[in-house]
Amino acid sequence: MTLPRPTLLRPTLPRLTPRRLVRGLATLIVLAATAASAWTYADARGSSALTGGRARDAALATGRQLVARLNTLDVHHLDADLTAWQNATTGPLHDQLARSRSATRSSLARAGTSTRGTVTDAALTELDPGDGTAKLIAAVTVAVTKDGTTTDARKRFEAGLTRTSGGAWRLTSLTALPAAGGDS
Amino acid sequence: MSAHPSPDLRPSTTGSARPLTTGKRAPKARRPRLAKRLLPVVLAGLLAFSGWALVAARDLDSSAAAGNRALTDKAGTAAATGDISNTLNTVFSYGPKSLDATQQAARQLLTGTAARQYQQLFAQVRSRDSAQQLTLSTQTVRAGVVTLHGGTARLLVFLDQTSSRADGKKATAAAQLSVDARLSHGQWIITALTAR
Repeated sequence: MTLPRPTLLRPTLPRLTPRRLVRGLATLIVLAATAASAWTYADARGSSALTGGRARDAALATGRQLVARLNTLDVHHLDADLTAWQNATTGPLHDQLARSRSATRSSLARAGTSTRGTVTDAALTELDPGDGTAKLIAAVTVAVTKDGTTTDARKRFEAGLTRTSGGAWRLTSLTALPAAGGDS
Repeated sequence: MSAHPSPDLRPSTTGSARPLTTGKRAPKARRPRLAKRLLPVVLAGLLAFSGWALVAARDLDSSAAAGNRALTDKAGTAAATGDISNTLNTVFSYGPKSLDATQQAARQLLTGTAARQYQQLFAQVRSRDSAQQLTLSTQTVRAGVVTLHGGTARLLVFLDQTSSRADGKKATAAAQLSVDARLSHGQWIITALTAR
């Protein structure tokens, strides 16, 4: 048993020539480099800085537009603008706007004022990229036009945002933040 | 090495299932030579993939979304909002007896255009308040970080400012500020202020 084995094995082992050594080493090095770079890429791709950052940028950009939209209303296009309001929202705010739509429409038509909101600056104060929720604050200048004269009003808001199943961010709440115990 | 006996056994067990591969010796001899020739091609392909993956990973890391650490770096975001809120509360709160202390604090916490704007504003405050005995108290009510890149940040801050005169009359006003700041020895210093 002990004698025949080495004589049987020796001829079947490939001889370690310099060329084979180089080939083997090159293969090992390339495989290691491939594994390391693939891991680096996967890590960057799934990093919270990237996925969270993308969620933040999307929520902020969409939130800015939607807060401006909910401060904009042309008395000549009430129905279109009220529909735009509803489309900008989801959840409780959407339900609330739908419920009060006819009352809002008649009171706005009676007042005869048009508004145009411009977000001058906005920032997120909370973000949960996994749940798809965020909180946003926005400084808004509202141009109020009545009987041909326009005046600017400065307002500030806090808004809740939710990412819908379609992947788009929508407002779930919008609250004006006047100065505590004073006029805004 | 131990593969030698099995091909010899296979024709008897699988019958005529694979007469082409089992019957001939030639392809088996050619296979290692083909692998040998293909090896450099495969390795070059893998190297190219590695290069692409590293470049793509670097692009992702330096992308705008990942480079801006606002809210994704929770500790860094909290430090910036905390420092800036404290600074604004300090430099915009003063009374007739604390003007010097407030201005002294502002010298350490404001720089650049923010410091120049503040000094102009404070000169007005000094001349006016000596007559009015005004006390101003500033409270940060909301603060959000828009961008956070290592040593620089941009924030939006909502303030409530309550002014009280010597006769006891009080008024609270809302103020919104866009703030540019930079980190200096672990402390966020305001470089520019823009009213919104």
